[in-house]
Amino acid sequence: MKRSAKLLAGVAVLFMVGTAVAFAQAQGQSIEDQASGLSMQDPYAAMAFGWFWEFLNYCRSTFLWEGAWVAVQITAISMTLGLLLGLVLALMRLSSQKLLNASAWLYIFFTRGTPQLLQLVFIFNALPYVGLRFDSFTTAVVGFSLNQAAFSAETIRGGILSVNRNQSIAATSLGMGPFLTLRRIILPQAMRAILPGIGNDTISMLKLTSIASIVFVNELTFRSQQIVGQNNKFFTVFAATSVIYLVMVSIISVAQAWAERRFDLEKDTRTDGGAMSRLLGFRLSREEAVPDAAAIAAAGVEAGEDRSSIDTPAEAAAVAARDSDDLFRTIVNADADPVPRGEPLVVCHNVQKDYGSNKVLRGVDLTVKRGEVVVLLGPSGSGKSTFLRTINHLEPVDWGTITVGGEFVGYEPVAGGQPRPTGRLARARARARLSMVFQHFNLFNHLTALENVMEAPVRVFGVPQAQARETALRLLAAVGLQNHVNHLPHRLSGGQQQRVAIARALATSPRVMLFDEPTSALDPELVGEVLTVMRKLAEAGMTMIVVTHEIRFAREVADRVVFMDGGVVVEEGTPEAVIDNPRQERTQRFLRAVSPA
Amino acid sequence: MSVRLSLTAAAALAAGLLVAGSAFAADPTCEPDKVATKYPSLAGKTVTFGADPQTPPYVVRDGADLNKLNGIAVDMAKAVMDCAGVKYKFTLGAWSGILPAVSSGQIDAMWDDLYYKPDRAKNVDYVMYMGAGTGVLVPAGNPQKIEKLDDFCGKTVAYGIGSIEEAATLKQQEVCKSEGKAAINTMPFQDLAAGLRLLESGRTDALMWDLGYIDFMAKNNSTKYSRAFSIVSGFQIGVGIGKGKEDLVKAIYDGIRVIQADGTQKKIFAKYNTDPALMIPAEIRTK
Repeated sequence: MKRSAKLLAGVAVLFMVGTAVAFAQAQGQSIEDQASGLSMQDPYAAMAFGWFWEFLNYCRSTFLWEGAWVAVQITAISMTLGLLLGLVLALMRLSSQKLLNASAWLYIFFTRGTPQLLQLVFIFNALPYVGLRFDSFTTAVVGFSLNQAAFSAETIRGGILSVNRNQSIAATSLGMGPFLTLRRIILPQAMRAILPGIGNDTISMLKLTSIASIVFVNELTFRSQQIVGQNNKFFTVFAATSVIYLVMVSIISVAQAWAERRFDLEKDTRTDGGAMSRLLGFRLSREEAVPDAAAIAAAGVEAGEDRSSIDTPAEAAAVAARDSDDLFRTIVNADADPVPRGEPLVVCHNVQKDYGSNKVLRGVDLTVKRGEVVVLLGPSGSGKSTFLRTINHLEPVDWGTITVGGEFVGYEPVAGGQPRPTGRLARARARARLSMVFQHFNLFNHLTALENVMEAPVRVFGVPQAQARETALRLLAAVGLQNHVNHLPHRLSGGQQQRVAIARALATSPRVMLFDEPTSALDPELVGEVLTVMRKLAEAGMTMIVVTHEIRFAREVADRVVFMDGGVVVEEGTPEAVIDNPRQERTQRFLRAVSPA
Repeated sequence: MSVRLSLTAAAALAAGLLVAGSAFAADPTCEPDKVATKYPSLAGKTVTFGADPQTPPYVVRDGADLNKLNGIAVDMAKAVMDCAGVKYKFTLGAWSGILPAVSSGQIDAMWDDLYYKPDRAKNVDYVMYMGAGTGVLVPAGNPQKIEKLDDFCGKTVAYGIGSIEEAATLKQQEVCKSEGKAAINTMPFQDLAAGLRLLESGRTDALMWDLGYIDFMAKNNSTKYSRAFSIVSGFQIGVGIGKGKEDLVKAIYDGIRVIQADGTQKKIFAKYNTDPALMIPAEIRTK
């Protein structure tokens, strides 16, 4: 509303000044035809308010609109090319490869640091000497694209950096490769930060195309100057030109508003209120998200049970919850070529890792059998989270070996030496089928609960949409979220988010689930709902490695408790042995500190 | 033997000279069918002239049909190129981009209000056809009584940045100073339209610009403007042609000679209210 008010005020002032000037002009003007080659009868001079009709006439001048069309074409093509090139430059700037980074920096430095007018003259007049002869229009497109690439590279880089790093860590843990992560997870969220800048740039470029007159492009401004050069009626011609620019800029603004709305995370559901509501600043209608209970029921039917009697969401939920044990069991036993229960599944040997001079892991040995629930305890800084992340290769190890089902995850053996990391890490992670649940949930903020769960099965494992959707609905029902499938993460409580995260981790049919302090970020009253789900998973026979401070959970659910401190395993054994009768002094001290007196 | 031989040689030489001489002496004529023999490199080619269509009366958009061009340069180019039988077109751009484009070969020549300057002749060859002057435009009736350069002292004078008019005004400024008169209030402007607005809004007392334009404006808007006075600057206007385009130079030179001989050029000048006395005999200048 504010913007349009300003616009109206501007137009009003323009008209008032225009009236005064044009009226004065008309008073003193009487052009006689002197049979010159250039002079002509002025049809508006004798009219009342002739200036106004003249202005209107220029507003619909095809000569000017043709110039506007040239400006639009250059802007549209250059903006598209500039954004694509800018994305490449942004990725180069974010790359850890020094050469890529430096060359992108240099390009941006030179392009932003030199006048665009001179760039155009250079492209038009200097490149023919090396055999590159572009016509006027191509010169403008090339010049504006290259220039825009430098500016949008920085805008896009800013957008990418604005997305929390946890988002890409979560995607990586699901087996998504770097480009899939960029396209599906990072860019859609970065768009919010990128779009206003791109909108600015588009409008600037549209107006700045006028400098291309230096290379013989006859766009709007240059054409208006030519008319003024002919008849010196600068007021009516320039006013009409401004109106044409305003029309074009308005279209860009509407497009920007639509795009921003498209990538807005604040909206309640996927049902789109349309660009109009964004323009007006309020919604024309307000609809709450409709729980997709019918879909859950339908999913249940497809699972082979008779659900004809279900007609309320509550009933559907109750039935769905009863399903959860079956569903979890199905996932646990899904492995086509399983390591037999009770046999070693995850084997870690002498795992070492440094962060600079800080030795985080000093040789950790751990074997986890299939179906086992292992809880890692230890003070913060003991290396337990880092150790967990080495298992699915989110962190590379400096020394030692880790195998899952007898295979390395993203390493290849070296005869007589330390295995070295391979390429195609994402594929190795996906094949190992280790999934992870994080302390801060790390749900994809731009996707609904349902979409979060479906993402990896569809994009990484190639499961058909319909099937992935059905499984995801059942999983969300199994963790008690059948009424929230269409909600974005920010609409959910912490406990609900963490349960979505568990459903998301389960959707890849993992062989091992890694939990990294899954309840530490939750309000105390929400811890229970998450632990309940984890307990069910353990009962279903899921192999789990859990980093937690929940001593009670460890005692009740864990098959084995491992106490770590200073980067090594200090003590391990049954919960009774480690928690109730710790032998090591460090374990005793820790347990005294975390247990309520 | 030797005498006869030398006689034969002398006769051949004489005959050769006669033929060559007559070819030289004969006035060029329009032979549009003979492009391939007269200007071989132009056969089948479309010559591109660059111009900035904000320079009346040289190159300007047609008021009735904005997609057309008018002006002295436009009419002369048509007469000359039709005479040569060579296709041509005008490509329009901002003034400062035109000569660089001629130098780089993106366009063939600049045909506009282009003054000869030795520095420019390093990059383009000229065919001269018109003398230039500076005109001083003032409001109708010349209320400030500005009739010569000395009258500038104590007045406001507008001129294009970096122009010969600027040099003349700054020189006069020194004179005013040495004679103890009030200084000139100088107002340099970026483009002609801006300068004209200064005069129209009363921000300047006088506007200095190329004489052809000033005469054109004064005659077309006699109720608004008058020409105060003019200065013969000694500058000359010509077509600027990219180096190494001998055939094009020759075609333009021949054509201008034709339209000067048959009175076409003077008619064109008259059509645009330009003093026919400004015509100068066609001349090629390569440095």
